[in-house]
Amino acid sequence: MGNNNVALTRRVTSSLAQRVEPFHASVTPVADVYETGDAFVVKLDLPGATKESISISVDPNSLSVRASVQPHHQETASLLHNEIGVKNYQRDFNLGEGIDHNGVKAEFVDGVLTITLPKTEWLKAKEITIS
Amino acid sequence: MFVRLDVPRVFGSDLLEDLLTDFTPAYPTYERWFPAIDVAEYENQSVVVAELPGVRKEDLKIAVENGVLTISGERKPYEIPQNARVLINEMRVMNFRRSIELPHEVEIDKISAELQNGVLRITLPKTEASRAHTIAIQ
Repeated sequence: MGNNNVALTRRVTSSLAQRVEPFHASVTPVADVYETGDAFVVKLDLPGATKESISISVDPNSLSVRASVQPHHQETASLLHNEIGVKNYQRDFNLGEGIDHNGVKAEFVDGVLTITLPKTEWLKAKEITIS
Repeated sequence: MFVRLDVPRVFGSDLLEDLLTDFTPAYPTYERWFPAIDVAEYENQSVVVAELPGVRKEDLKIAVENGVLTISGERKPYEIPQNARVLINEMRVMNFRRSIELPHEVEIDKISAELQNGVLRITLPKTEASRAHTIAIQ
């Protein structure tokens, strides 16, 4: 019993002594999605993420985006305003059939991620002329 | 939450609509955007960080006047093909403006700013007088 308490105290003390990782809030980023004749385009606001921190995965049913933001301040800072915080972005989208998974492209400009999901041939709009 | 003020439609009259739109500011004015900011103070400087996704350098203005820093500008719409069908539209294209009182005197000529990955970072060096000085007791 006594030993248990000592062990517990030691564990608490050692975990306090470790550098505390900043709390990462999980944020759902704002998105736009539009469809053109031959693709779906997904746009996400990911301010503070870097190209390297973004992971995009596409499986037959879903598109998922994850990104992390590095802390904006050093440890010596005293924060007079703190609205941004340390955060991770995550958002998932359901995908229907007819997406060419090998042709998915992405670019990251000004903190906005743009993912282009091309449609497979059979999903593309076609005009049929009456013969 | 934003309140959307719609231009009333009066019997579909083009003339009335034109008149109303002439006197009614465009939508972005109603949906003013206040970007999230951080202000961090260090020994010799302060750093202001603002989240401005989709804002280009040329559409952004930074001003310092009477000890107040103001960030303002516009998020312009991206190009979208004419035949596109919008499925989700959460991004707002609008003007933004945010002012903060500086926590100390600043070397105006030495202010620097960078915009990267949708984040603006302004470094404001303290003047000699506004830095903390340790006074030795005789």
